Amino acid sequence: MNLRRAIISYARPFGTLAVLVALGGIISVLTPYFLTVPNLLNVAQQTVINAVIAVGMTLVIISAGIDLSVGSILAFAGVVLAQALHAGWPLPLAILAGVGVGTACGLVNGLLITMGRLPPFIATLGMMSVARGAALLATGGRPVSGFGESFRWLANGRLATVPAAVVLMLLVYAAAYFVLRRTKFGRYVYAVGGNEEAALLSGVPVGICKIAIYGSCGGLAGLAAVVLTSRLNSAQPIAGLSYELDAIAAAVIGGASLMGGEGSVLGTLVGALIMGVLRNGLNLLGVSSFVQQVFIGVVIIAAVLLDMLFKQRKR
Amino acid sequence: MNSFFSRFFVVALAIGLIAGCGRRVADSGAGRPVVGLVVKTLNNPFFIDMERGAEEAARSRGIVLLVQAAEREVDVERQMQIAENLIQRKVSVLIIAPSGSREIVPVILKANRAGIPVIIVDTRVDAAELESAGGRIATFIGSDNYEGGRLAGQFLVERMGSRARLAVLEGIPGHETSDARLRGFREALAPYPEMMVVASQPANWERDQGYNVCQNILQAHPDVNALFAASDLMALGATEAIAAAGLTRKITVVGFDAIDEARQAVRRGAMAGTVAQNPVRMGAVGVEWATRILGGETPPPTVAVPIELVK
Repeated sequence: MNLRRAIISYARPFGTLAVLVALGGIISVLTPYFLTVPNLLNVAQQTVINAVIAVGMTLVIISAGIDLSVGSILAFAGVVLAQALHAGWPLPLAILAGVGVGTACGLVNGLLITMGRLPPFIATLGMMSVARGAALLATGGRPVSGFGESFRWLANGRLATVPAAVVLMLLVYAAAYFVLRRTKFGRYVYAVGGNEEAALLSGVPVGICKIAIYGSCGGLAGLAAVVLTSRLNSAQPIAGLSYELDAIAAAVIGGASLMGGEGSVLGTLVGALIMGVLRNGLNLLGVSSFVQQVFIGVVIIAAVLLDMLFKQRKR
Repeated sequence: MNSFFSRFFVVALAIGLIAGCGRRVADSGAGRPVVGLVVKTLNNPFFIDMERGAEEAARSRGIVLLVQAAEREVDVERQMQIAENLIQRKVSVLIIAPSGSREIVPVILKANRAGIPVIIVDTRVDAAELESAGGRIATFIGSDNYEGGRLAGQFLVERMGSRARLAVLEGIPGHETSDARLRGFREALAPYPEMMVVASQPANWERDQGYNVCQNILQAHPDVNALFAASDLMALGATEAIAAAGLTRKITVVGFDAIDEARQAVRRGAMAGTVAQNPVRMGAVGVEWATRILGGETPPPTVAVPIELVK
């Protein structure tokens, strides 16, 4: 029984992977421009921001929560980072400031949810507005742009042929995979989402776990802000609108359950790549922008429907 | 095992859909030059008009035109992705209406590196930024927004007898188009000290924000009797707020873009005037220059599309 469950939990990302491969296969039959090394690297690069935010979102969703504030936190962290750079801070310090601001916002979310006993939806909805307002206030609504070569290398540079941002994304995923699969904290995250009462009774420090989860989620949004700011050579206070929904979509396509207790970062990575490949492929094919939105929606619904079907069968 | 089948069934379905949409484009494209047009969004009538102009020009010149846009006008990152994808698609010329004057620069560099000429329409690229990054564009095609702002300002001066209390709805802050329009507008008012701007706030080009910001301004400044919005969508939002406050015709509203709805509002009297750009012509001229560039011609650095006031 346990073996079977283990197989299911490991096979789930592979099912999603099969969808990705099939999708790629079909697009490459339809257009010769898809299956080229530069284009695949291009897709990977375009996926980085959503994928990095989605790691944090996956942790949150596994713990049976939701974080609506990541898009706003990304904007706020971005403008703080940009202003630090303009103020002449050394690069590592400025990046730390951006990620730090993101983490701080996330920690506040965590405190509101644990100490304040607010539902995650409400706490992060509030933070969504606060962080957006803070970003607008900090900049007077204007974008902050124009940075040095070394900062721009982060998103545009290459290590051998692989874009640096893609390497960063893979490192983030490797770390998250390790934390979720190999550490006590990782097991706690699943326990909290699976059954909070039971977790509490069996001695899991639920409160601290949640604060750490939301803190990481905010920090990862801050990290995504670093990549976005470097990529556009500009930090916009209105950046990241509705990015939270993209991140939730990636996690859900990747098999995370909004009921909590289920999900994997590898699944989320594949989920984010499916969204990236779909958008890229539809652009290459010249499909109308409106149709693209329908497609993304269909994929999200299909992925979750399938997941439910899958689970019912197993019962 | 079953789940695998159902999974593939759904994928097959999705693929069938993509194939259906894709084939049409693929078949019609054989051997003809492909031009990519990336506008800001396709839910704004201005860009729908631009698309129409571009498509007519493309049809008459035997060009395949791919028109793409982000879902939201402010989503510079998504616009960048679309442009990157069209570069991978190896379009012959890329025409872009930038969502961000500075944020578009990295993508221009990518097109330069791929040897794809870039034509910028509607919104200027930040010249200093482009130069310092070492990028280049083939040409800029657009209306003179500064001149349009001046036209609107002069019109209000005449209409109000050089004495008014004005509210201004700005576009996205830091946005070149908005800045140029407002500069021109303020320039026109400068000689008239009795033309007082009592409130000037961004409504980010959006209709619902135009409504809300106008409503707030009316709360704070009930004596406002004239309003200039840097775009018609914001102006139309504002006219609704003005109507809700029972002040229609008591506040003279001037917009910018002359979209169909705004022209109707002018005829009805809900708006006093709107500055007409010619997006259809802008799209057509863009495609026209794309073909001429492919034919080896070099365009002038700026191609102006005429502007006028509809009242």
